[in-house]
Amino acid sequence: MMSNVMRESHIMKIHYLTAMLAVALVIVHIMVRIVQGFSDSLLFDNVVANYQFIPYAILLEAVLVLISVHGFNGLRVILLELKQGRAYENAVTYGCLAGMIILVAYGSRTIIMTSMGMV
Amino acid sequence: MEKDRKEGIRGMANPGRYGIERVAYWLMRITGLGLLVYFIGHIYETSSILDGKAAWNSMLELTQTTEGHIFLALVIGMCVFHTGNGIRLMIGQAGFGLGRPSRPDYPYTPSSLNMKNKLCIYVSIGLAALAMMYGLGVMYDV
Repeated sequence: MMSNVMRESHIMKIHYLTAMLAVALVIVHIMVRIVQGFSDSLLFDNVVANYQFIPYAILLEAVLVLISVHGFNGLRVILLELKQGRAYENAVTYGCLAGMIILVAYGSRTIIMTSMGMV
Repeated sequence: MEKDRKEGIRGMANPGRYGIERVAYWLMRITGLGLLVYFIGHIYETSSILDGKAAWNSMLELTQTTEGHIFLALVIGMCVFHTGNGIRLMIGQAGFGLGRPSRPDYPYTPSSLNMKNKLCIYVSIGLAALAMMYGLGVMYDV
C-alpha cells in the first residue's frame, strides 16, 4: 500500500504543496485568457501560438501534473473516508495512481504534439 | 445517542446537524469532485486541437452557449470556494486559529469550531459568488 511506502502525513504535505502551487499557476493561466480577451484567446490560431510559446507550454504541463496529483489524491482521501480494509485501500490507492498517470500522459500528449507543431 | 449510532454514515453525513462546519465539509468534497470531473473534461476538450481547426471550433461551440457559460460560472464558484476553504484548512492543520486547549466542560463547545473559522467559511462562499458574477461578466463581455 502507498502509505507503507510513504507516510500519510507526507502525502498530505504533498497535497497542500500541490494545491498552493496549482493556485498560483492557474491564476497565471486565467490571466492569460483575460488579458488576450476571453473569446479571442480561444481562437484556434491563438491557442496553437500559446502552446508553441515554450514557457507557457511548461506552465501548462506543470498545472497538469500539479492538479492531477492533487485531484486524484483528494479522490483517494474521500474514498478512504467512506470505507476501510486492506484490499479496498490498495484498490483505491493504485486505482487513483493509475488514473493520475493516464491523465498526465493524455494531457502531455496534447501539450507536446501541439507545441511541436503537429496539428 | 442510541439514535445517533443507528444512523451510521447517514448521521455523519447529515449537513443540517453540525452547523456551517459540516456544510463546509460537504461543499469541500463536492467541489473537489466537481473540479476533478471538470479537469478531466477540460483535458479531453483541449485534446481536440490535435484534430485540427474544425474539430477545435466544434468543441468550442459547446462552451459558447448559455448552458456552457452557466457551467463555467459554476466551475469558477467551485474553484474559488475550494481554494478559500482549503487555505482555512491548511492554516488550521498548521495549528493556527484553533483557540486555546481547555478542559471539556458542559456544553462541550470545541474551541476549534470558533467564529474565526465560521467567518472564513462564509467569506469563501461570498468570494465564490463574487467570482461567479465576475466570470459571467467576462464570458458575456459585459
